[in-house]
Amino acid sequence: MKMKTLEEAKQAVVEDFSMYDEWLDKYEYLIELGKNLDVYPEEEKTEDKLIKGCQSRVWLDSKLEDGKLWFRADSDAIITKGIISLLIGVYSGREPKEIAEDDFGFIEQIGLKENLSPTRANGLVSMIDKIRELARESVIEKEPEVLTADDAKELAPLYDNVVLAIKQVYDPEIPVNVYDLGLIYELVINKKHEAYIKMTFTAPTCPMADEVLADVKKSVSDVPGITGCEVELTFEPPWDQSMLSDEARLELGLDDIDK
Amino acid sequence: MTINDIRGMFPALQQQVYGHPLVYFDNAATSQRLVNAIRRMDGLALGANANIHRAVHKLASDATEEYESTRDAVRDFINAGSREEIVFTSGTTASINLVAYSFGETFVHEGDEIIVTEEEHHSNIIPWQLLCERKKAVLKVLGIDDEGHLKVDDLKSLISPRTKLVAVTQVSNVLGIINPVKDIVNICHSASCPVLIDGAQGIVHVGADVQDLDCDFYAFSGHKLYAATGTGVLYGKKKWLEQMVPFMGGGEMIGSVKFSGSTYAPLPGKFEAGTQNINAVPTLKDSISFVRQILEDDRLLKETAAVEEYLYSALKSKNIRLFGVPRGTETKIPLFSFVVEGAHHEDLALILDKMGVAVRSGQMCAEPLMDRFGVTGMIRVSLAPYNTMEEVESFVKALEKAISMLV
Repeated sequence: MKMKTLEEAKQAVVEDFSMYDEWLDKYEYLIELGKNLDVYPEEEKTEDKLIKGCQSRVWLDSKLEDGKLWFRADSDAIITKGIISLLIGVYSGREPKEIAEDDFGFIEQIGLKENLSPTRANGLVSMIDKIRELARESVIEKEPEVLTADDAKELAPLYDNVVLAIKQVYDPEIPVNVYDLGLIYELVINKKHEAYIKMTFTAPTCPMADEVLADVKKSVSDVPGITGCEVELTFEPPWDQSMLSDEARLELGLDDIDK
Repeated sequence: MTINDIRGMFPALQQQVYGHPLVYFDNAATSQRLVNAIRRMDGLALGANANIHRAVHKLASDATEEYESTRDAVRDFINAGSREEIVFTSGTTASINLVAYSFGETFVHEGDEIIVTEEEHHSNIIPWQLLCERKKAVLKVLGIDDEGHLKVDDLKSLISPRTKLVAVTQVSNVLGIINPVKDIVNICHSASCPVLIDGAQGIVHVGADVQDLDCDFYAFSGHKLYAATGTGVLYGKKKWLEQMVPFMGGGEMIGSVKFSGSTYAPLPGKFEAGTQNINAVPTLKDSISFVRQILEDDRLLKETAAVEEYLYSALKSKNIRLFGVPRGTETKIPLFSFVVEGAHHEDLALILDKMGVAVRSGQMCAEPLMDRFGVTGMIRVSLAPYNTMEEVESFVKALEKAISMLV
C-alpha cells in the first residue's frame, strides 16, 4: 500500500477526530492509540530521550533510514501516549525536510491544543518542538561548513571513497560513469558524515533518471563511514560536452575532435 | 449557616464546564473568591484608587484607611502582639523569601544551618537553598515517616548551635496532616532557635494564634483564603523585624534619603517597598470575617465534616493509595492526595476535568515529597466549606468512570 502524503495523513486524523463529539470519546480513541503503540524498550528510556515540559514523562527517539525519519515514543500516561502516537503516525517515515518545514496546524484543527489542560498543552508543544528538532537535525547540511584542519583530515578519505562509489554508477546509454561524465555538480560531506550530491543528466528527458539517482544514493550510502545521503537533481546549468573528464573524453574518443 | 448559604457567596461556583456543573476540588491551590471580596476590590478600583500613605487628598485617605484597617483585622485574626508585626506581601512565597533574604543577610553566616522538612512546598525550600548558597550555609532536612507524619522526635538532635532558623509548614499541601507546630516551636526555642511557619494551608482550616504558638514568623496567602490573588501576610516578631535589613528598597520604606546614607521607615513600612497591592489587600478583611464565621459555626462544621468523611471513606478503596494517613479526624484538613494503581495521575485529572471536576495532579510543588514516596505525581482533592455531598458523589462517579477507562 502506498504511504499517504503528509497532507492526506493529517486529513485522516482530522476526520477520525471529527467522528467523536464527546471529549471522553476522543480520549477513548487516544487511549486505544496509546495502547497500540509499538513497544519502546525500557532500557532505552534514557534521560536524553525525555521531553521536558510535560507533566507525564514522554520519551521520543528517531532514526534516519534511507533519507526517511522514523520515530518511536512512549509515555507513562496513556492519553499522552495516544497523542504522541498520533503525532508519530503522521510524521514517521517522512523526509526530515518535510517534517521540519511543516506547521503542525492540524493539531489545532482537531481541538487538542486548547482543550487540554495547560500543562498538557505545554507538553504537546514540547512534543511538537522535539519532533521538529529531531527533523531539523536530520536535514542534511548542504551549505559548506567551516572545517578545522582536523575535520578536513578526517573527511578527506571519505571524499575519495564517495567519488569511487559514484564512479560505480553508469549512464545507461553511455559507457562512462556519471562522475567522469561530469554529471556531478556538487558534492558536500558535512561534519556528521552525511553526503549531499547535486547532479544532472545529459538530457532532461533521460528515461532512466530515477534509477540512476537511486543508484547514486545507494552506492554512496554504502560507503563505510557515510551516515546519510541526499541526491538532488538539477538542470541548471545544462550539461554539455565540456564537462566531460579527460578519462571520459579518452573513452569516448573525443580527444581528437576538440584538439 | 449551611453549605448552601455559603455557595451563594461564591459566584464562580455557579458555572458549567464542558456541559457539567463545576465541581471545584482544587481549593488548596486557589480557593474561589468571596463575592464581598470581589465587590470590595471593584469598589476600591472605582472609587478609591489612590496611592496610600502619601497624598493628603480624599481618595488617598480612603485608600489608606482601607489598607491600614486590614492590618488591624489581620493582627486581630492571628492574634499578633502589635500591628507593626504585620507586613503585607504578594503571598506566602514572597513572605518566605523576605525572611530568607532579610533574616539571612542579618543573621546567617558561613557554616550556619537552616532546617526545613521533607514535606515542604518548594516555596519553603528554594528561598533557603538560595540563602545557603549565598552564605555558604548548610540546609538540613527533617524527615517524615511512611504515614506522612513529621519525625518531630528527631528535631532535637538535628538542631545544633549553628542552626539559625527552622522553617516548617503548619499543614503539608500534599498530605494535609496538621503538624504539631506548637511542640516544634517549643523544641526549637529550648535550643534558642527561631521558627518560621508556612501557614498557606493551615490558616484556612486551622487558623493561627501566633502568640500562643510563639512562632517567630508566620506566612500565608490571600488567594487560598477566598481573598484576591497577589495578597499575602508575613507576621514577624518585632525583635526580629527590627534588626533585619530591608528586603527591597524604594517607595514608602524610607526614613530619610541622602546620598551619604539613608534611614528606613519604622515597622512595618520598612518591609513594604513600592506601591502596595492597594485594591486587593483590603479583600483580606472579607475573607477574615468569613473564615471566622465558619470556624465558629459548629452546625456548619458538622455538615462540612460529614462531606469530608464521605469523601475519605469513598477513597479508602483497594486500588487507591492514599498519602498522609490521619491518626484521627482532627489531625487532617479536608485534603486527600492519592494514586490509583495502573492509572497515571495526569490521565485521571484530564478525564475528571472533562466531567466537570477540577482536581490537581502532578508533583504539587513538592518534588522531594514525591521522591520520598517513590511516585512521579499524585492526584489531590482539596475541599472548601462550599463543597457539597452531591459534589463528592459526582466526583466519585467521575473517578470510577476515569478508572474504568484507564485500567
